[in-house]
Amino acid sequence: MPHVLVVDDDPVVADLVAFRLQRLGLQVTVETDGETGLAAARRLRPDLVVLDWLMPRMDGLEACRALRADPDPTLARTPVLMLTAKSQEPDLERGFAAGATDFVTKPFSTRELVSRVTAALHAVPA
Amino acid sequence: MSSLAAPAAVATAVLGVLVVVLLVAVAAVHTTRARRLAAAQGSRAGLMALVHDLLDDGDDEAVVAAPRDLDEVLLHLLPQLRGADREAIQTALTRRGVVARAAADLDARAAWRRGRAATLLGSTAGRDHLARLTALLADRSLEVRCAAARALGRVGDPAAVHGLLASLTTARPLPAGVVGMAVLDLGTAVLPALRATLVTGSPAARALSADVVGVHGDLAATSALVDLLTDARQPEDVRRAAATALARIGDPAATDPLARVLLDAALPPLQRAAAEALGRIGDPAGAPALLAGLTCPAREVAAACDDALVALGPEGAAVLADAAGRGGPLGTAAAATLDATSQPGRLVGV
Repeated sequence: MPHVLVVDDDPVVADLVAFRLQRLGLQVTVETDGETGLAAARRLRPDLVVLDWLMPRMDGLEACRALRADPDPTLARTPVLMLTAKSQEPDLERGFAAGATDFVTKPFSTRELVSRVTAALHAVPA
Repeated sequence: MSSLAAPAAVATAVLGVLVVVLLVAVAAVHTTRARRLAAAQGSRAGLMALVHDLLDDGDDEAVVAAPRDLDEVLLHLLPQLRGADREAIQTALTRRGVVARAAADLDARAAWRRGRAATLLGSTAGRDHLARLTALLADRSLEVRCAAARALGRVGDPAAVHGLLASLTTARPLPAGVVGMAVLDLGTAVLPALRATLVTGSPAARALSADVVGVHGDLAATSALVDLLTDARQPEDVRRAAATALARIGDPAATDPLARVLLDAALPPLQRAAAEALGRIGDPAGAPALLAGLTCPAREVAAACDDALVALGPEGAAVLADAAGRGGPLGTAAAATLDATSQPGRLVGV
């Protein structure tokens, strides 16, 4: 069963995303800031990370860079889907430059999120 | 020695008891907090299951009958979601009576309740309450007026534009920034009304309408904006807003009027805006006016002309080189601009 790590400092949004993904049959773990999210990623080796951008302690961009720089090549290649209110072109450029695989911008559609998560998981080489 | 030992022992014992009491109190606080968090999490998990069903299947009786706590979750999620998810939540809030309660709260004595009600009605995007939200633009509380303006923007009914523009000049006017954002939220459907306001509106409404048509890049507004720009009877801030809007629209038809304002207006902030607009439009026909502006006594105007000529790229550079070759004060200014463009960090034609 694919494992998705959801990192969002808004617990209501994180719970909603987790519920939607669990319905797909995915295993989901929720963390509420970039630092604990990064630690969880290193510990759990998820198949995909859904990452908010604006978070306390360590923001999503920094967490994404840290993930990409991880010495473990498998973890460093983990798909990262940014779920963020930042939607301007420069923001997207910064996100992709930091290693994001895809973006879903808030306000978001849970159907779109589910589709993008599914697509990203299918795109992961076996 | 023994006379000192007894008080010391008592003090140590008291201190020890205090430390123990403190530790117990800290532990109690942690336990209470952990229980509260666990209870909230457990309660949220139950409510989230309802939200999940709501988003999957639309509204149902279980959602309508759910405890009041669900309202907070739905209201929290509403601005985070869009499309069918958002519509499902809006419907649920309406069926649960939240929207009706908010509408009743628009007349509440407490300003915070009126403001919260306006915000909620804006989030639920119900057009039924447009008239009451518009009336709230004249509320005695500035916070409530701002909340009403934002709500009208979110509701997105183009009919709200007239009330919003009028709110700029009432006895309790709204800040132009708040009104501008709300009008922008109304989208391009309000452009015809804004074009009309450029001609017939109050000065504040004309300036704001110019800003918004410029942000939308509304080509059809060029003629009305040129009229405002070149009409010396208009307030300077209206003319400046027109210049900035023309820059954003980028129609070369504005080049000549902007050049004339740059050379003749004798109002440095307006001349500066005209120079910046000429640089942004990028029409080489504006180069002679920009060149002449290099010797303007107002430093901000000369600097804007300098930047605009650089922004024109090779055409601007050619005009500068020609002027530099002819000498005189203009030639000196042109040579200085050319020298500066060759410095690292300043690119020509980019």
